[in-house]
Amino acid sequence: MRSEQETIRAMERYSDTVMRLCMVHLKNDADTEDIFQTVFLKYVLSSVSFENDEHEKAWFIRVTINACKDLLKNFFRSHTVSLDDVIEQPTDLPPDYRDVWEAVFSLPQKYRDVVYLHYFEDYTAPQISRILGKNVNTIYTLLTRSKQMLKEKLGGAYEYE
Amino acid sequence: MNMNDIFKELFNPIRAEEELKNQTLAFLAERTQRYTRSTAKSHKYPRYAAACICLLFMLFGGHWLYFTPTAQISIDINPSIEISINRFEQVISVNDFNEDGRELADALDIKYKNYTDAVEQILNNDRIEALLTNNEVITITVIGPDRQQSAKILSGVQACAAKQRNTYCLFASSEEVAEAHKMGLSCGKYKAFLELHLLYPNITPEMVQEMTMREIRDLIDSLSTDRDSNSSSYENRGNGHHGHGGGYRYRWRNGRTEQ
Repeated sequence: MRSEQETIRAMERYSDTVMRLCMVHLKNDADTEDIFQTVFLKYVLSSVSFENDEHEKAWFIRVTINACKDLLKNFFRSHTVSLDDVIEQPTDLPPDYRDVWEAVFSLPQKYRDVVYLHYFEDYTAPQISRILGKNVNTIYTLLTRSKQMLKEKLGGAYEYE
Repeated sequence: MNMNDIFKELFNPIRAEEELKNQTLAFLAERTQRYTRSTAKSHKYPRYAAACICLLFMLFGGHWLYFTPTAQISIDINPSIEISINRFEQVISVNDFNEDGRELADALDIKYKNYTDAVEQILNNDRIEALLTNNEVITITVIGPDRQQSAKILSGVQACAAKQRNTYCLFASSEEVAEAHKMGLSCGKYKAFLELHLLYPNITPEMVQEMTMREIRDLIDSLSTDRDSNSSSYENRGNGHHGHGGGYRYRWRNGRTEQ
């Protein structure tokens, strides 16, 4: 089991990444809080020794995405609709940015992960394939389709590569 | 506009609040008892251990319940066999006491069957039927510490034996069984041996082992008749004198008593 100091250090480094991934998948604060606690409890109890910071970050990303998917797969959740099931937009966004936000959150779930990891975390397709444990060609396909969908919604005013 | 830059603008402001971090740290401290105990493991392993112990108890308990004999049925005609019965009235073992008994036990398929089926199969065995037709005597002895079960088995055995002639059903105690086994006799034969021994003290368990129940019964009847007719002289002779071969109508040849 990891120490309190290790946990605090990891929380300082990766809490924002965990939070953003929760935002990409989940739609309310209560679920985000649950996943946040679950991920760090797994970290404390995990005996994985990380080779470097990148390896550790990739572990957090994978565990967070899996925890979110598990939550969404839950039978009760999949058959009910939460009252606060609304995507909250960051306030004071310029209109262009608001359009991108809406376009990203209108993408199906499987595209949102790769889009976020590619555009925000700057991961390449092979890196994403390693983090998510998927075939690299699958990631290329997901990225290509998501770019097409974003283009359809937002037009050609943006650089997608 | 570059999509990477837009994403940075959109997602950079999303940060974990200090309140959430502090709540999470408090939650982790509580769940891990201040980072001293792995909660997941501490809850999981005792549960598995308890489940394993329960399973072992069920397995051994079930085995003990089923395979502990609570009564025995000794069947003597020569062959002599004993069958052990469990609390569910099923046959759990068949023991033979001589060569003939071994042959009979091998010919039977009574293990794990109800005792009434077992007794019926024994009584309907070709060899036993042939012996009974030949006017041999069969003794069925029920032995068990549980009086209630023994009485039930005895009445069941009596019902099975009702169709056969020359069949005697009786009850014996566990002490008698222990003594019988010490002498290498089945219980029915041991009881007959005791009866015969009173009349003929020189008789040995080895001699009785090879005799049929008919031979033993005939010898008892014959000796009783002799004793009744010569009761005064018999009583005066004392134990040390009666029972010598020449004094009776029986003699031993090749392990058999002949008239």
